[in-house]
Amino acid sequence: MKKQLMLTLLFLTVSFAVNANETNLDQTIIPTDHASVLRGAELVVNTCVSCHALKYIRYSDMLALGVSEAKVEAWRNNSPVNTRILAQMPPEAAVAAFGGIVPPDLSLMAHARDGGVHYLYSYLMGYSADTKGEIVNHVYEGTRMPDILAISSATDDKQRAEITAKAKDITAYLNWAADPHAEERKHLGIYVIAYLLLLTVLLYLWKVKIWRKLD
Amino acid sequence: MIKNTIAWIDLRFPLSGFVKHSLVDYPTPRNLSYWWNFGSLAGIALVLQIITGIFLAMHYKPDIGMAFDSIQHIMRDVNYGWLLRFIHSSGASAFFAVIYIHMSRTLYYGSYRAPRELMWWTGQGLLLLLMATAFMGYLLPWGQMSYWGAAVITNLFRATPFIGDYVVVWLRGDFQVGDATLTRFYALHYLFPFIIVGAVMIHLVALHTVKSSNPSGINLADKDNIPFHPYFTIKDLYGLGVYLIAFSIFVFFLPDTLIESANNVPANPLRTPAHIVPEWYFLPFYAILRSVPDLAGGVVAMALSVLIFAAMPFLDRSKIPGGARYRPAYRLMFYVFIANIFVLGYVGAKPVDALPSYLGLVATIVYFSIFLLLPWVSMKEEKYLRERGLPAELETLIKEEEAQKDERRQKKSDRRHS
Repeated sequence: MKKQLMLTLLFLTVSFAVNANETNLDQTIIPTDHASVLRGAELVVNTCVSCHALKYIRYSDMLALGVSEAKVEAWRNNSPVNTRILAQMPPEAAVAAFGGIVPPDLSLMAHARDGGVHYLYSYLMGYSADTKGEIVNHVYEGTRMPDILAISSATDDKQRAEITAKAKDITAYLNWAADPHAEERKHLGIYVIAYLLLLTVLLYLWKVKIWRKLD
Repeated sequence: MIKNTIAWIDLRFPLSGFVKHSLVDYPTPRNLSYWWNFGSLAGIALVLQIITGIFLAMHYKPDIGMAFDSIQHIMRDVNYGWLLRFIHSSGASAFFAVIYIHMSRTLYYGSYRAPRELMWWTGQGLLLLLMATAFMGYLLPWGQMSYWGAAVITNLFRATPFIGDYVVVWLRGDFQVGDATLTRFYALHYLFPFIIVGAVMIHLVALHTVKSSNPSGINLADKDNIPFHPYFTIKDLYGLGVYLIAFSIFVFFLPDTLIESANNVPANPLRTPAHIVPEWYFLPFYAILRSVPDLAGGVVAMALSVLIFAAMPFLDRSKIPGGARYRPAYRLMFYVFIANIFVLGYVGAKPVDALPSYLGLVATIVYFSIFLLLPWVSMKEEKYLRERGLPAELETLIKEEEAQKDERRQKKSDRRHS
């Protein structure tokens, strides 16, 4: 009884840390499959990289991910294949265009905000026109980023569906970019825990056998 | 071949003797529960942190322009760098979890009482060393939370009377947390674990002098001790297996739950994060710090909240042996204390609004009251229990302990007079 109480208290403490400020974010499941990530890679490099950098991703990482050589060659434009992906807009122009700040690097953005991928997706979809006709974002008020996916002006369902799919793919790719080894890690983890389970069971049986020696 | 080598060594170094006396034949109470596994688990946690730390240090750069990038290099490019990093970051949390459970066991079963006071105090020293090591290690990724956490906590030293401002600059190596701070924290973070290893050895020498306590809290007769090997070597190995499973779940599936999202943003001295929070293992003390509105007062309260544990052997004035098992009032105080720690932890994670602030104040008062009321409660409880009559098994155990003491006293005087 006491043990259950302790464990419940432990889990409660952890859950408080995890659930901070996630109440108004869209909880749609973001795909993690390879196809979404590849589509997202194209979308991110073709749209986002005009202003945002992805400095912890190199073109060679894109090739390793599975993007076609032709596309990567077109993107890197004669710079070496291990060049990092930097924003097309130079910093001075960005500062001038966005009122003093440079658009943040996106390599870790999927982990850099409370809510993670749900934050990213909700943010991309969070634009709307307010009463004065200005475009605002309900997830990050005062954002200087324009409504790049044009969700605020999407009227019919087909447009919205397209934009939703794009937002999911972009988020899926950025999720990969923040932790490229995530799949490998989880795959390895299954084997590690399976091995440890077997080992622990054997150790338990051995423990019981040894302790039986005591009268 | 091996036998000859060991014989060769034994003529020059007390190897076999040490192994036999301290690891194999070492008498251990047979009734130890699994709560006694956590000491050895803490040792394993330390070893894991040191090994992963050394390999991380081969790739980390303690320069404010390169630190954050070097961590990403480790995570992305270094072969299994992600594994090293996640074992190390999860390992710090695991280490604290194990230590807190280990301390709770000691408090519950009264293992801090005579003759184990030095064990408790060396343990106290180890806790302080661990906290310092963790605090300095947290700066190294040079994320937003790393920077601002270090800025807030180093600033607290301003409370030092007369020389406060100079102490802060001396600690940081500069007027603000910066490159000087990062470099020295890196040097000390690499050093402290080895000081901890030395302190652990002192802790173990103390242990081997007084031997383990046990759940009854009373010295058992010699016949109730069993050799450490094979009984507790296998039990510790089994406990280690369970620990590694829980640990691996965090390392492989939940590593990000222990990393603040703000720490994935490089440190920016010009931009304060919305909420500055330390890692979970510092939250209760952080709550106590913030519950006092005055800076110096908060610092004193926080320091006292850690140091007051040292007073336990003196605060507990009951002569009923052991800890909570035979003492219902003490047991209640223990559970209230643990529940209160969780409340403090919750308060520490929240921004300073009306409700958390009030709750924090109440919880801080409860925290210190439990310690300060202990002398009175323990004496009252002893009186009450003795009047009611102690349970039969306790009487038996106390009588056996007295008989042992008499036997030893008799043997000693025989030796003196012979």
